[in-house]
Formats: sequence, C-alpha cells, structure tokens
Amino acid sequence: MASLRTPGDVDRPLLFATVTLALVGIAFVFSATSMPSAATEHGLYLKQLIWLAVALGGGAIAAAVPYRIYMGRSAWLLYAMGLVLLVLTLFIGHVGLGAQRWLGWGPFKFQPSELAKVATVVLLANFLSERRLDLTQLRSLVKPCVVAGVPFLLVLKQPDLGTSVTFLTILFTMLYWAGLPILYLFLLVSPLINVAASFYLPAWIVFAAVLSAVLYRSRLRLMPILLVVAINLVVGIVTPQVWNHLQPYQRQRISTFLDPAADPYGAGYQIIQSKIAIGSGQALGKGFLHGSQKALAFLPEQHTDFIFSVVGEETGFLGAGIVTLLYFLLIYRGIKIAHRSRNRFGSLLAIGLTAIFLYHVLVNVCMTVGLAPVTGLPLPLLSYGGTSLLTSFLQIGLIQNIAMRWREY
Amino acid sequence: MPFDPESLTGARHRERHFSIAVAVVFALVLLRLFTMQVLQGSKYRELSEENRIRVEVIVAPRGEIRDRNGLLLADNIPSFTVTLDPYDKTYVDTPARLDDTVRRLGEILQVEPALLRDKVRKDGRQTFLPVRLKRNVDRTTVAYIAEHESELPGVDVEFEPLRRYPLGEMASHLLGYVGEVSDKELEDPERADYLSGDLIGKMGIERQYEKILRGISGKRFVEVNAMGRKAALLGERRPVLPKRGAALTLTIDANLQRAAEQAFQPGARGAAVVMDPRTGEVLALASKPNYDPNEFSTGISQARWALLSEGGNFPLFNRAIQAAYPPGSTLKPFVALAGLMTGAIQPGTTFRETCDGAFQFGRRSFHCWDPHGHGTLALRDAVARSCDVYFYQLGIRLGLERLSDFMKELHVSDRAGIDLPQERRGLFPDVAWYDKHYGAGRWSRGLVLNLAIGQGEIALTPIKLAQMAALIANGGTLVRPHLVREVDEDGRPVPLADSTGMHVAIPPAYAATVRAAMEAVVSDPHGTGYAAKVDSVRVAGKTGTAQTHGNDHALFICFAPVESPRIAMAVLVENAGHGSTAAAPIAQKIMQAYFHPAAAESVRVVASR
Repeated sequence: MASLRTPGDVDRPLLFATVTLALVGIAFVFSATSMPSAATEHGLYLKQLIWLAVALGGGAIAAAVPYRIYMGRSAWLLYAMGLVLLVLTLFIGHVGLGAQRWLGWGPFKFQPSELAKVATVVLLANFLSERRLDLTQLRSLVKPCVVAGVPFLLVLKQPDLGTSVTFLTILFTMLYWAGLPILYLFLLVSPLINVAASFYLPAWIVFAAVLSAVLYRSRLRLMPILLVVAINLVVGIVTPQVWNHLQPYQRQRISTFLDPAADPYGAGYQIIQSKIAIGSGQALGKGFLHGSQKALAFLPEQHTDFIFSVVGEETGFLGAGIVTLLYFLLIYRGIKIAHRSRNRFGSLLAIGLTAIFLYHVLVNVCMTVGLAPVTGLPLPLLSYGGTSLLTSFLQIGLIQNIAMRWREY
Repeated sequence: MPFDPESLTGARHRERHFSIAVAVVFALVLLRLFTMQVLQGSKYRELSEENRIRVEVIVAPRGEIRDRNGLLLADNIPSFTVTLDPYDKTYVDTPARLDDTVRRLGEILQVEPALLRDKVRKDGRQTFLPVRLKRNVDRTTVAYIAEHESELPGVDVEFEPLRRYPLGEMASHLLGYVGEVSDKELEDPERADYLSGDLIGKMGIERQYEKILRGISGKRFVEVNAMGRKAALLGERRPVLPKRGAALTLTIDANLQRAAEQAFQPGARGAAVVMDPRTGEVLALASKPNYDPNEFSTGISQARWALLSEGGNFPLFNRAIQAAYPPGSTLKPFVALAGLMTGAIQPGTTFRETCDGAFQFGRRSFHCWDPHGHGTLALRDAVARSCDVYFYQLGIRLGLERLSDFMKELHVSDRAGIDLPQERRGLFPDVAWYDKHYGAGRWSRGLVLNLAIGQGEIALTPIKLAQMAALIANGGTLVRPHLVREVDEDGRPVPLADSTGMHVAIPPAYAATVRAAMEAVVSDPHGTGYAAKVDSVRVAGKTGTAQTHGNDHALFICFAPVESPRIAMAVLVENAGHGSTAAAPIAQKIMQAYFHPAAAESVRVVASR
C-alpha cells in the first residue's frame, strides 16, 4: 500500500475533458475569426495556442504543489490580494462593455474577479473545514457570508452582475457541501428570491406563502424566524424604493439583463441571432468553417462569449451535445473528487472550484440558447482569452491536486 | 487507513443529490438543444438562409419649443433619410460590392464617397441597424432610389422627423441646434440609449433640455428576405411605439427678441439680455451675429462648420453667456453702493481732489474720460456724468480688500446660473488673485483705481450684468435668470421648478440713492445715457466703455420703469466705441418695443398653431 504522502495518479477523465475542450476551443476560435468579414484579427487562434502551452504548464504546477499550502495564513493573503485588486479595478480599471472589469498594463489585461473567485473558495474552505464548526448555529454563518459578500458587492459595483453572482453560487454550494441543512440554505437564499419576486405581485405572494409555510414547519426557535421575516420584510419594502430611485439608464441596464428582448437592438438582438445560428445547425451542422450566420458577423463576441453558437451552427446537435457532455463529465469528476477526498479542506476546495465551472458553463450555454440573460461571462476553456484559459487550467490543476492526494487526511 | 465518514456529515447522500441535480440541469440543456436543432432546426435554417431579422428604429419626434405667447420656435417636419445596411447578405457574401454601392450613392446623394465609407464603417460597427447616410433627401432622389432598388442592395429610405426652426436665424443662440451624437457623447453611460447617428441637442435649450425634448424612440422587428424587401412582421413581436418628447414653453417674448436682434446694426457683434427683475424670466437673449440652426438638423458639411465655428465673427459663439468683458463704467453704480454700504461715503460726500480731467496718484496720472473735467461732484452727479476722478478716489478710500469683498457678496465672480450650457464664470480679482497671477507684493496698489471704474482684469458676461442690473432694480435679490416657463408633458403643462434667487441685504435708502443716480444718467440732459430715453417711462441706466486692445466695447445696463421695474437689461456691442452712442440707443429701441409695442413691428404674422 502506498504511503499516505505519495501522490497518486491524476484523474484521467477530468484531464481528457479539459484538454479536449481546450483544443475544441482553439479550433472554433479559428473558425469564428476566419471569415473575411470578421471584425477581429485572424491570427487569434495562434495566440490562444501559445496561451494553451502556458496554461498547461500552470496547471501542472497547480497540481504538483501540495494543496495544504493554501491552508491557514496564505489563504488570507490570497484573499486580501484579490480584494485589493478588485478595489483597484474600481478606480483605475479599463472600461469594457460599460463596466470596469479589467486591470493591467499594455496587452496584459486580466479580470481581478478571476483571482478573487479562487481566493474566496480557498478562504471559505478554510473556515468551513474548522473542526468545531457547527453550521446549525446562526453565528457560524456570519463569517462565510461576509467573505463571499465583500467581493460580491465589489464586482456588483463595477457593474458586472453576472460575475458577482458567482460568489453567491460558490457560497451556497460550499455551505451545502459543508453540511448546512437544506432548510437553512433556503432561508439564506430567501432574501434574493424576494428581490426577484418583488417586481411581480403574484410571484411575491407565492414566495411569501412558501416562506411562511417553510418557517411554520421548520421547528426553529422564535428568534431566527423573526430574523428571517424581518430581513425579508425590509428587502421587500426597500427593493421597489431603490428601483424607483435609479437613473433611467440604470433601470434599463437591469431590465435588459433580465429581459434581453427589452433591448432588441443590443443584447436581445444577439440572443435572436445566436438562437438562429444554433438552431440552423440542425442535427449534424453546416460543417466546420461553413457557418453562415457566423459569417454575417452578427455576433461581435462570437469568438468569446458566443463561441458556443458557432459550435452549434457548424457541428449541429451532434457537436453541441458532445461539448455539453464533456462539460458535464468535467463537473461530474469534480464532484467525485470532492467526495472522495478524505481531507475536509480538500473536499471543500474541490467542490468550490467545481461550482465556479458549473456556474460559468450553465450561464453561458443557457445564454446562447436563450434561456439566460446576456451577462458577458465567457465559456471556460472554449472562449478566446489567454488569462481566462490560464485561470481555468489553474483551477483544474488544483482539482487534480486534490484528486492525486485523496488519501491524505 | 479506513475512510473517515465523519469528514463531512451526510456527505454520501449530498454527493448523490448534487450529482443528480447537475445531471438533470445538463439534461435540460441537451433537451433545449435537441428542440432547437433537431425539432425546429428547419425553421431556424430557413431564417438563417433566406431571411434575416432586422430591427428598425422609429424615431420619436422631438418636443416643440414655443415662446411665452405660444409662438412656435422649433417643431418637426417629416423628411426622408437614406440608409444603407452594411450587413445585407450581398455585402456579407462579397464585401467588395459595398464599395460599388457607396460610390453609386455618392453620385446620387452628391456626397463625397469617402465620407460615406467612413460613416458606414464607424456606425456599422456599433449597431446592427442600417446606417443613416443622408437626411432630408428630396423627393426626386427618393424616387430615383426606389426605381433602382435592385441595383442598390441594402439601400432604403426611412421616414424621420426633421427638426425645423420656423423663424430661421432668430433666437438661434438660445435655442441651439441638434446634430448627430458624437463618439465622445456615446461613451457617457447616461447616453447608453443613444445609437451612433442619432440626433442630440448640441447647444442652447436643445442641449440643456435634451432629456425632456428627446422622447423615447420606438422599434419594430422586420423580417427581410433575400431580395431585401420587408417580409411579414414577426407575429410574436409587436412594434414598440415611440413616445414624443415633451414640449417646452419659454419665457422668451418673440416680439422682444426680434426687436433686440434688429436693434443691432447689420454686421455688429454683441449681445443683449432682457429679463424680468422680479422673477428672473429672460424675455430676450440676443447674440450677434446669428446662425441658422436649420443648417445643422440635416447634417452640416465640414467646410460650413469650420466657417461658422472659426470663421471671422464666430457666429456660433453665444456672446450673451460665453463671453466676458470688462464692464467699464457700468460697474460704477455697484462701486457707489459698496461705498455707501461700507460707510466709506454718504450720498452727499465729495472728495478733496476736484476733477480737472485727470487725477494724480503717486507719480502716475489717471485720466478722466472727459478731458474738460467735471469739477467737484457728489454721488448722484458722479454716476450720472460718469466722473472717473470721483471713482478713483472712492476706490482708494475703499481699498482693494473692501471692494473685492463687497463684489464677492454680490456673487460677481459666480455664474448667473441661466439654464443654458456653457455659461462662463465672471471675474472680480481680489488680493489672492493678484498674488497668484503677479506674485505676492509684485503688483501695484494703484490697480484699485482701475477696478473702481470697471477696467482692468474684471470680466463679466452680459447675462451677469443683466442679473446685477436686476439686483439694483428689485432692491437686493439676485434672481436666477431662466428660459423655460413650462414643460408640457402628455398635454398637461407642468410648471418648472421655481428658480429662487439669493438675497443681498441692501438698506432701502442706499438702493434708492443708486436708483436715483442711475435715473439721472438717462433723464439728466448732461447724463451719459440720454440716448436711452423712452417716452413716458422712467428709465434708470448706466453707460460703459470698456478699453480693449482694439476699439472700445460699448456697454449699457438699465431697468424700467424706475418706480416698479418690470425689465432689466444689459447691452454690449464689441469694438463699437462709447456706451452712450453705441449701446444706449440699442437699449432704447428694445425698451421702446417693450413699452410701446404698437410702434414696433410684430412677428405674430406667423400665426401660432
């Protein structure tokens, strides 16, 4: 029997899914920028290829260095760095697509939110793996909520609603994984559902009824119940007030986010064109490099945010389905690795990182098929973007790290 | 080592539930893909191959602008705009054909093809909408394009409301004009709902009240087939109808505005501002020379723009609010007021040095404008005859600190606060200002002599001078000048938020003294403003002559009737000489039009709708 400290083998299905998706990505970045009418330069796939080499190296390092170094003080350091960069972005960031998301010099730009996501996962994994943690105590939820809440608000301020929600997804997934009862999770999420429901009275009544029923049957003590009710009442009253005090353009931005059809010559138009592209791919696609919707250059971000539309158009249901299944494989392996790890910290780390992938993949793919609003989130591994590719590989590397050391306590 | 089941409580079924939930969500995505691509694939294939969906914007008509009596100053007329869709299938398949079409259009529209090409490239990048190439195209051209439709793929003619200013050049500076939104304006997040090529208020009322006037544009979805013709509207998407902009009613009286503009000699450069000293309502705001705002509505050529903005007399420059001049002797009533209020003088005070045409200060001799001299005068006559020697000595007695403090109390260096963009700030220099610009102690105390007669570094806009004249007229209120009376939304007039003024505590006796002195300027046969006399109306005024590098600027401020003032005004004529001969007569004509309108020509011939 191998010693506890000897790393095992990498998770092969995860490696396979990752590398295959990255190669598919390069092929379709090539396709999306190949036609003469393309708005961008044609050599982007070469850049992406170079970045892939860098990313593979980065991923290997992330896998090799034992993940225990992220426990304790280094987690705080990483988290502090992430926050500082997020704050910097608000002041000196590059404006792109109406929000300040980018930081960097010259050609080297990256989104500090990428670092902040990983740092938040690491710090949360530290908190939630504490031996004496009792998640049935309301008090124990305060720290995790603050740790995820601060980057959430900073990114929301940019404003980048799509990315900011990642932090909430991370928080809820990791709390669930750490053992928070599903009832508590529902109560924790209830103010957010409240915000969404408060715009439509019937929806809000249904929400209020469900919440009341759950609280009634929860057998919680009086204080927590009153707290949940109070928070929800405040949120329910404040939301419409805030909405009425927003500038018209801010309101428009939010309603466009929720309902792209409200802005038919911007986001809504892209959705329509993306749906036509994917749908017209039919069962087997129009053939690699032969997408005609793509050629119309309707989608200015077709090599980044809308790359899945190009895949769908050129390879049809067959190709789009395979890519979707590859993503499922990636996430499924992530869950398995998190489950297998004997180390509570490692397990939480793996599930948090997997949650980042899950959120990005679902939001992006659902956007291209018209099921989710336009958020500007890239499709991990497939979309063009060097630092995005590198971060994805670093995250996968970390998950592999945990896979290789699953025996360790 | 055995597996530790305690590492995560209930981990086993959590893992299973989570995996199942993820699998279900991915299955739903696959189902969606299957529905779109396999079940409805042929419908989408058809859409992608034969048709494409296009959005057309329905531009909202801008709100109308009327004068206080309901006379139209700006409205809209229907017009044709020629557009080109660079994403037409023809150009996507063979990009080279776009150049041919642009060249053809250049001939048809008589526009340089290079300009059209730039516009297509720039605007086409920002939206998927057809690019608006030329506005206000005549019917012959429209007919020609319709006949040659098949040779001009992607070219279309759209209806668009065109901004029209029925009175042409009249009131151009206060109304402003509209033009295509600039790249810089598009970057502003507040302008997120503007598309490249949209019209936006660029100057004057059009810019200041852009949000109110613009309205909300509508849109419709159109399916365009391979022939470029509009096919059936998509059943599921109804057009969004535009909401027209709200109408504005101004405080301007078009008759008085016309009188003010016509009071200037042809070719003169200058400005006149007439306001109600009780409310701050601006009755006329003229700046000469004018321009024709109609020229901008259709898109102005580069050469014409250069001529207007930089050529000779700068007709685009609104001298009433954007230009600041030394006020010359029009400042004297305020210096006198400073003397009274600080206790430096009494109404009957005379100074030691009598005026013999010059005043000796140290080794320098300061001249009075009248070389014959005025003798020894008290306040009333010193103002009426504009004696410089009196004010030199008053200036010395006050000192720079006290004088500049008083002017600060009157907010002389602040903007008057009119509801127009780009109003320039005034300037009354103080000790700190001189220390900063000349170095501490490196400027002469003698500067105060010049300041006391309104010369030197002082710079005031005509709107500011009118506001200051109103302050004397109403006895101490700095009313905020404003141009908009009402906003008419959904047919229901909404009075605009009242513009409250600032109060300066002036003892009524001192205000009366200064008013009487200013009345003497006009009524006294020796007064310098005798040329502003109006029959049967008591007028109070003050002339001014500002020394500049070239010929002197002529100024005049006044208000009337003295017993209960209803108008206050400032007139400025650049490089025209003396205020008494070049500016006072203009004020006289304007007051004549206000108090005896029968004699003046009426513009109400153009019936209001």
